[in-house]
Amino acid sequence: MKTLIKLFAGLFILFLAQVTLGQNISGSAHDFSSETWNPSGEICIVCHTPHHADISVTDAPLWNHQLSTATYTVYSSSTLDATVGQPDGISKLCLSCHDGTVALDNFGGKTNGTTFISGDELLGTDLSDDHPISFVYDATLASTDGGLYDPTTTNSGLGGTIDADMLFGTKLECASCHDVHNGSGVAKLLVKSNAASALCLTCHNK
Amino acid sequence: MIMIRIKLILLFLIPAWLFSQSIVNTVHNLSVSGPGQIKAVSETEICIFCHTPHNSAPKGPLWNREDPGLNYSLYNSTTTQAVIGQPDGSSILCLSCHDGTIALGSVLSRPVPIDFSGGITVMPAGNTNLTTDLTDDHPVSFVYNSALAAADGELVDPVNISWPIVLENDKLQCTACHDPHKNIYTDFLVITTQYSNLCTQCHDKNYWISSSHRNSTATWNGSGNDPWFHTPYTTVAENGCENCHNPHNAGLNERLLNYQAEENNCLYCHNGNVASTDIQLQLTKAYIHDVYAYNLIHDASEGALVLTKHVECEDCHNPHAVNNTSANAPYVRGFNKGVKGINLSGGDVDPVQYEYEICFRCHADSPDKPASPTSRQIEQNNVRLEFDVGNPSFHPIAGPGTNPDVPSLIPPLTESSLIYCTDCHASDGTGSPAGPHGSIYPQILKFNYTTADYTPESYSAYELCYQCHDRNEIIGGGNNFQEKVHKKHITEEDAPCNACHDPHGISSTQGNTTNNTHLINFDIGIVHPNNMGQLYFEDLGSYKGRCTLKCHGKNHRRKSY
Repeated sequence: MKTLIKLFAGLFILFLAQVTLGQNISGSAHDFSSETWNPSGEICIVCHTPHHADISVTDAPLWNHQLSTATYTVYSSSTLDATVGQPDGISKLCLSCHDGTVALDNFGGKTNGTTFISGDELLGTDLSDDHPISFVYDATLASTDGGLYDPTTTNSGLGGTIDADMLFGTKLECASCHDVHNGSGVAKLLVKSNAASALCLTCHNK
Repeated sequence: MIMIRIKLILLFLIPAWLFSQSIVNTVHNLSVSGPGQIKAVSETEICIFCHTPHNSAPKGPLWNREDPGLNYSLYNSTTTQAVIGQPDGSSILCLSCHDGTIALGSVLSRPVPIDFSGGITVMPAGNTNLTTDLTDDHPVSFVYNSALAAADGELVDPVNISWPIVLENDKLQCTACHDPHKNIYTDFLVITTQYSNLCTQCHDKNYWISSSHRNSTATWNGSGNDPWFHTPYTTVAENGCENCHNPHNAGLNERLLNYQAEENNCLYCHNGNVASTDIQLQLTKAYIHDVYAYNLIHDASEGALVLTKHVECEDCHNPHAVNNTSANAPYVRGFNKGVKGINLSGGDVDPVQYEYEICFRCHADSPDKPASPTSRQIEQNNVRLEFDVGNPSFHPIAGPGTNPDVPSLIPPLTESSLIYCTDCHASDGTGSPAGPHGSIYPQILKFNYTTADYTPESYSAYELCYQCHDRNEIIGGGNNFQEKVHKKHITEEDAPCNACHDPHGISSTQGNTTNNTHLINFDIGIVHPNNMGQLYFEDLGSYKGRCTLKCHGKNHRRKSY
């Protein structure tokens, strides 16, 4: 029941976002309704289903796409203070298409799809050339690093703090920067404009 | 409570970069909003010129530029122990702009290069374009570990180096000194170079703590060349290392000195414009230690014994050690502290204990050492042998002289006194700086010393000798010895002191205590063998001796006094 309330609350927020910002997934890069590999012509179905959802990922929102079982090479750097583990949480949902190991059309129980992601959107299983994800970003990390803002007190530019608006249980995930539903209408499905590097400089105190 | 909330809200409204220095207001903000001259025409993103969140290369730190490759000429020096490889790590990232080979706007995440104003593509020529020739830049991309520190001997063990100096996987990279995101101390330095603060985090030069070059508050008087052209500092102490060294675009690559002509690194301050003494003026005189005549021969790694003839300031001075502490002969003074030399036995010493050990570097066992201007009965140009304390006679440089009865000595000098080489060999003129820099007199003598035959005696003719030896005692006459020897020859025959005396000494390997006491070693241009072909002096005890020779046409045959 609680999950259902959460879902409705979420949908309501999405609805509000549509109304207030005038942007939605329809027509965005994530609108696959006219792709040949999606004969249903539905938009949401590639990722979501109202029934029989995959609940193997915690808090997965009625997941309908086959998940990847890949093991990833994660980002590392001599100046990195965060502990970067294997992608978890909702980032795994993104990677179920973007790591290129699972066909785009492997949704709704299908496992023999043949269309795979390509181009810049293909991150692969080597995530060492990508911004790290699935790491705890808290006041301690900010203090240790010295080049990050304290997420619990710093404004995200989205209404509240970084912690409240952009992190998922204190972790930074793909969705910290990307709004898969194109709520803000910014290119590359960013949560907000990166003009003047505003998105980067939300967290990075450089 | 409400006030606190309002304050919190206000805090959110203030742009975060106001709290601390940010890349946004540095010249590394290459976006259209950047404060520098070099910036994009319309691109607003700041991070993009270096970083991308996806598909970066090299991977860390999410790099967005091409790798310029391995095409660099590397710093090298005879005194570096580090193994300096082609730039890697973060240094190669810096060089992807700062070597001037890749367009500033060429980033991986954009299909076409970002346009720069003024039609700029690559880094314009100037100090920030290091080029692919890194031989004149502080080395980077070398392992800096405890072993290197131990091998070098003048580096801080990196286990004792702390933030903000950061090594990258044990290697020193550009980022050890520069933080490309923050420009608090100019040139994006991580801490100030004032008082050599940055340099001394790693460099621990012997003697530096007490060096005048670290501690002097002297300022530039504004004349001549700006000695501190690459710093904003106004005293010797503030400039510290950078008085002489330039970490980038150095004039003399090895050891990163300001100027290629070694002496200019010294003389642009020691010309009366910063230092109180004007050494450059001394070097305009006729007889000098000619530091101008040699270029790139001196090497800091050379042995104490100079094998290839040259002279540079650093042969006698250690700029990391010099100060103005005084000492008494024969001990080395602060000016020459920390220099290597050759001791009286011919062995290497580092540092020297006695001043003469510095002179012995060139004037003793060196194969190409200068020769004496006087042709003598006993030839010896090795001053180490001339001053040996086992000699039949010698001026007291390394130990008290052999003659216990020298009545001409002017107090406070006594028969047990020691003197410096530089008491005789030094710049002429009252108030001139100490040391044998330059003189109007041959052999860089501090006072006139006439060696020509038939010189009418005067104070000025033998001014050098008379500094220590009382003129009246020498030529005033009185007893038999004075009348027959000095008064007779110097004032009546107009013979110079140098005709009979060899002022350095006579080596025991050639002379003996019968014929060569009292520095007797004849100038054979003046004193000749007699008609029997004989030329010698014999010591017959106190104030007694006899000569067998021919001088001024007169034969002496065992002529005694």
